Amino acid sequence: MSSLIPLVKNETIKIIKKKRFYVILLILLVLVPIFTYAQMRSAEHSREKFNGDWRLETQQQITDNENSLGSDRVPDEWKKFRKIIVQQLQYYLDHDVNPKEPNGVTFTREFMNNSVSLFIPLLIMAIASDIVSSERTTGTIKMLLTRPVKRWKVLLSKLITLIMFTSLIVLSTFVITYAISGLVFGYKGFDIPVFTGFQISGSDVDMSAVHAVPQWEYILMQSGLIWFVSLTVAILAFMVSVLVRSTAASIVVMMAALIAGSILTNMAAAWNSAKYLFMVNLQLTDYLSGTPAPIEGMNLTFSLIVLSIWAIAAIIVSFAVFTKRDILN
Amino acid sequence: MNSSNWIWRSVSIISAAATLLLIAGFVYAIQDVNYPQRAQGAGDLAESVKPPKGTSNDAIQDKKELKVAALGDSLAKGTGDSTGSGFVRRSVQEYSKDTGKKVTLLNNLGINGLTTTALLPKLEEQGTQYVLAKADVILLSIGGNDLFRGADLFTSVKNTSPNESSSSAVKKDSEVSKTSTQAKVQEIKPEDILKALPQASLKLQKILVKLREINPNAVIIYVGLYNPFGDLEQLKIPGNEAVTTWNNAALSLINKNGNMMLVPTFDLFQQNLNKYLSSDHFHPNGDGYQQIAERIVQSIR
Repeated sequence: MSSLIPLVKNETIKIIKKKRFYVILLILLVLVPIFTYAQMRSAEHSREKFNGDWRLETQQQITDNENSLGSDRVPDEWKKFRKIIVQQLQYYLDHDVNPKEPNGVTFTREFMNNSVSLFIPLLIMAIASDIVSSERTTGTIKMLLTRPVKRWKVLLSKLITLIMFTSLIVLSTFVITYAISGLVFGYKGFDIPVFTGFQISGSDVDMSAVHAVPQWEYILMQSGLIWFVSLTVAILAFMVSVLVRSTAASIVVMMAALIAGSILTNMAAAWNSAKYLFMVNLQLTDYLSGTPAPIEGMNLTFSLIVLSIWAIAAIIVSFAVFTKRDILN
Repeated sequence: MNSSNWIWRSVSIISAAATLLLIAGFVYAIQDVNYPQRAQGAGDLAESVKPPKGTSNDAIQDKKELKVAALGDSLAKGTGDSTGSGFVRRSVQEYSKDTGKKVTLLNNLGINGLTTTALLPKLEEQGTQYVLAKADVILLSIGGNDLFRGADLFTSVKNTSPNESSSSAVKKDSEVSKTSTQAKVQEIKPEDILKALPQASLKLQKILVKLREINPNAVIIYVGLYNPFGDLEQLKIPGNEAVTTWNNAALSLINKNGNMMLVPTFDLFQQNLNKYLSSDHFHPNGDGYQQIAERIVQSIR
């Protein structure tokens, strides 16, 4: 243990000094204003159309969804999805709560919801894909391993550092999104009630367990789930980084997997066993908001188990390969 | 080495704190999703703010600004109009052009295939009531599906949802269904259309009473029915008869209230079916909707 902390410290300083973390912050600082602007424009648009009356807008959304239910051109899965949306929106209207109250906190919540399966994993990969393979590209791995430290300790120190930075990335995404969107939409909104606990069975929503939580509690839960997703992605990218020699290749492998996941979630309803793939299970926040899962039979526990198994397997593979492999070349 | 120490200390402390916070959130989320605390708070919120009932009692002509809400079936929605406007948007445009007033469409709550039976529960919904209570003018189109669906001759055409059909391939589709409708029409006994009438007009009465209850002051404009089968030998006379009976029933309900009116469309379409009907042979086309819209505007000018 005593030899581990200096190693973690060393890795941390390397990441900071190599400016990896700054790059991530920079990406956030550039992209979040763009999303904020887009959201602002669409808010302006709906204010024009509905005079800023969210009840009218929500009611129109319900009517539009109901209209599409009658069309035979709409696939059945979408109809199911829309029926659920209609029931949820109706619930918000019945309780006189604006589902999209425009403020910085709501924007942050929506933004995090949308970025959990692709954007945040991408940021994580900027560090995770590079953490082992870069040492091999530059050859510094040999110097690292000639020290009188066991190999598994070297790898473990890297993994711990990665977990630390995963938490930092999730946190800074929240902070930066809130800080920037707050400039436009205002910093209030932590106390607004958000409904959670919609139990979906088939195309019906069981409302008996629905309860309101203040938005800050919702965001806390949401960030916890996002953290778990990020951790899984980080560990998988870590494994790829151990297995593949070049950083570029390891990024490409992970990107391919993530993009495949986002395509699959849109069309995999017919392929039931796709639910065992990790990339289909990344939208953990959907269970909180009550969005139906992409494949029948998925729930929070199921997704957590699938992600955990993938992560544990990845850790085992990483350590097995790293401690046994010949690093001479 | 000093800066390294500083980096290490701050990064490790912040990340440890962040990790703990996120783990707490994670555990909380699992608990909340898997074992939700039943209905805490949701009940307290239920006492919703009722929208200010009704608008001022002035006559429509005196108002500077007019809010319009539309309600009902595919005609209210504007199905068949290739521009998507329907008579609702068209009459809003016409009226503001005509009078120079600011006319806003609050919501168009028209839903394809809606019958009087399906409309009634919608009027109980908070969202619908909110919209209706804010309106100065309520446009209502309902009954067509009761009448012609009751005879069950319209299902085949309805399914092709003509508002989405723009490509030529799709057009062919509706061509086919049109002929199949005509084939179906042969087997329909005209009396069947009349059978649905008494039930439906009872429901219409309930709808009108409910609308009045929701908004005591708005002008309610009911759009009368036309006979889309006027050019089919077998259905011309009985169809006309059924539609007229319905319109008369509706009119006698509407006449009991001062602030409601029926805008007739029967005569508009009688000789102009080819001109004013869209390719599905049931819904009006853009021109047809324009004619209806002009009638509506005339009635409240």
